[in-house]
Amino acid sequence: MIELWIDENLKLEVAIDLRTQSEVEQTQQPNLNAASSPGAKHVIDGSARSHPFPTPSPSEPSSHFSSDVVAPEESLLKPTPPLLPPAGILPPPFITPPSTRKRKAAEAAIADDNQPLPKSATKAAHARNATASDRPSTRAKSNTDKNRSTLPILTQSPESGNSGKSPVGLKRDIATPATTTGSMDSDDDFMSDVSSGDDFADTQGSDDESLGEVDFGDLDTGFSDDKDLIKQKRKPYEVEFKVLDTSDIEREQLVQINEVSAILGLPPESAAILLRFGRWKQEKLIEGYMEHPEETLEEAGLGTNFEGTAKTEVVSDFMCDICCEDGSDLQTYAMRCGHRFCVDCYRHYLAGKIKDEGEAARIECPGDNCHRIVDSKSLNLLVTDDLKGRYRTLLTRTYVDNKDNLRWCPAPNCEYAVDCPVKTRELRRIVPTVRCFCKHEFCFGCAITDHQPTPCALVKMWLQKCEDDSETANWISANTKECPKCQSTIEKNGGCNHMTCRKCKHEFCWMCMGLWSEHGTSWYNCSRYEEKSGSDARGAQAKSRQSLERYLHYYNRYANHEQSAKLDKDLYLKTEKKMTSLQSQSGLSWIEVQFLDTASQALQQCRQTLKWTYAFAFYLARNNLTEIFEDNQKDLEMAVESLSEMFEKPVSELAELKVDILDKTAYCNKRRVILLSDTAENLKNGEWSFNIEW
Amino acid sequence: MSLCQNRLQEERKQWRRDHPFGFVAKPQRTAQGTLDLKRWECAVPGKKDTLWEGGVYKLDVIFPDEYPTKPPKCKFTPPLFHPNVYPSGTVCLSILNEEEAWRPAITIRQILLGIQDLLNDPNPESPAQADAYNLFKKDRPAYERRVRQVVKENPPM
Repeated sequence: MIELWIDENLKLEVAIDLRTQSEVEQTQQPNLNAASSPGAKHVIDGSARSHPFPTPSPSEPSSHFSSDVVAPEESLLKPTPPLLPPAGILPPPFITPPSTRKRKAAEAAIADDNQPLPKSATKAAHARNATASDRPSTRAKSNTDKNRSTLPILTQSPESGNSGKSPVGLKRDIATPATTTGSMDSDDDFMSDVSSGDDFADTQGSDDESLGEVDFGDLDTGFSDDKDLIKQKRKPYEVEFKVLDTSDIEREQLVQINEVSAILGLPPESAAILLRFGRWKQEKLIEGYMEHPEETLEEAGLGTNFEGTAKTEVVSDFMCDICCEDGSDLQTYAMRCGHRFCVDCYRHYLAGKIKDEGEAARIECPGDNCHRIVDSKSLNLLVTDDLKGRYRTLLTRTYVDNKDNLRWCPAPNCEYAVDCPVKTRELRRIVPTVRCFCKHEFCFGCAITDHQPTPCALVKMWLQKCEDDSETANWISANTKECPKCQSTIEKNGGCNHMTCRKCKHEFCWMCMGLWSEHGTSWYNCSRYEEKSGSDARGAQAKSRQSLERYLHYYNRYANHEQSAKLDKDLYLKTEKKMTSLQSQSGLSWIEVQFLDTASQALQQCRQTLKWTYAFAFYLARNNLTEIFEDNQKDLEMAVESLSEMFEKPVSELAELKVDILDKTAYCNKRRVILLSDTAENLKNGEWSFNIEW
Repeated sequence: MSLCQNRLQEERKQWRRDHPFGFVAKPQRTAQGTLDLKRWECAVPGKKDTLWEGGVYKLDVIFPDEYPTKPPKCKFTPPLFHPNVYPSGTVCLSILNEEEAWRPAITIRQILLGIQDLLNDPNPESPAQADAYNLFKKDRPAYERRVRQVVKENPPM
């Protein structure tokens, strides 16, 4: 059993390694491939394995396992009559349906045939690549499905079995620009292979989907033809998105420019100006142009004259209106508006706009009261190369800013943008978390770091509230009471219980909150509790305290997870050291200790989710759904805390805990997916009721 | 010679050759008695057939080193009662704003003519002083009375 686990980890670790060092992929290939082959052996030689599943974690219902145990073994041992087309298991001719083959062929046609890497090496690498990133969600998903449906797992429809796939698709997008053409294709193949492997595992009900990964990852090494067998489906809390780099964005612009240029018969540089003017809303723009061509052109800063070519000239009898030079050999330039200036002044003007003002899309002619926009052709004629680069960068920036479906990754120094179709008005129903190439996860709606499951509007309110309230509220709660009459918050500043509110002059007793006048002669020794005035006052007091305490309850938990995530992160930084010492102490290889890294990442992610569940819960009205939500929250919290605890154990014990940690990591991820899926689905269907308007 | 100096020299030449009637624009003299091309003493007459007719309003025009890339600063001395003139006397006008309509090809002649137009045609969208703006918006007769007063205070030289 342990043996098998090692294999599984082996694979996982290599994946992580690959992910972080994709640039050295090529050199690492042979090694990695070799490293993973024992895993393959294990898989094929399925009979050697008695119980390839992890011990269920104590908190996990064991029923999940009971139904699952048989299936994968059976299917592994007898792969010939597959229940589904088991993606990676059979040689291609066997199982590739015609449609897939066709697609495959089409892709092959597009693909660059000369793959730089030996196929098997590339594949192994990509299998790991995909597995590592998809692992938590896939694993978790398989369990979600099981938890949710009472259907026997073996009969699960391909679609539902496949729901863990979308990250693979995403990953594929992600991988595309980063790799070379050759490996990109195999990348594609590979992702799908692995994902189908996962699907298979899911469908077969294997709880140990690592099994699926190892098996299919390695089995797949031989053949790659069955891809996208099953249609992809996202988890309820995931959204479709694509990460774009600068060249993608430029390409996208170019496509649109050429399109508009062809339709309207304008030069491309003019079409570009028109598009920027219309904020890239192509259809609306063309419509407007068709109705009022001249007005549209004028408004866009184009003018109606498209004659002549852009070139600098020497003009006789010329004096530049800017520098007042009038040399007879002065090079001059004018756009079609005819405002002519010397090339030096023009250049200086453009440089000032681009460098100092950061303007590019709407630089107007230097002539007085002329609103003609300087086009890229003119600009390229006039300015130096470094400015051209800057100009393009600025144009790209405005493009992304202007498009509703694009957003820059907010991580420092990150140059990628994310393309996501979620509209602003949908943000009430969706929390569109996206993941950049740089690994930063953020909300497409508001650019704040991943805040699932809480919708953007609530996040904003919560953050605002925390900024205003938290510390103050703590202090108020500890040190003050409200005046029973005017509800002003009062701090007791002397020993005497006879309070006089400075604001409303109400006199009351600090102890019982009742009217002072009712105290009779028993002043300064309040033993009264029964009187009505006192109990009313205490009731009002209690109510106001309650709402404060409710807030603090949620805030403290929110803040605690934030803090713990930070501490876990510190721990993570020490993890590497830990892993090194673990290697020397236990004789495990580097690859074999990578499970700590996985665990640490899971911890981070789960804490991030947990943190926001508290903000979400603060705004939830109490009902049955809320109860379920809190149960899910509690389950995740318990799992996370126990993983966190294991994680902190001394290095000497870690090797023994490996299986437990792996197990717990998987369980945490699974609980997280359950919680997020459930919340997202209810949000989408408008099932939640909140205690505030938003 | 720098672009700024060159251009100002040329503008001075052109102004001396020809300038709109009633306007004044000349570089100041420094304490040492040399011409400071970057500080001009100017005067704008109120337009004929307007409230402002009969007054001549003095202003300093201060050119930055980056002129004509950047616009000069125009400042009424003393500060003028007008919705688009800051309490300091600085004129708020689109063609004098680098981020708005300033263009390197705009000359002092165009600036002064622009300011003359502004006198009788204030832009209530960008108020610069409370006094004049409030009167202009809420009590036009009182505003006009104040302007007539200003005209009297600024007789032609």
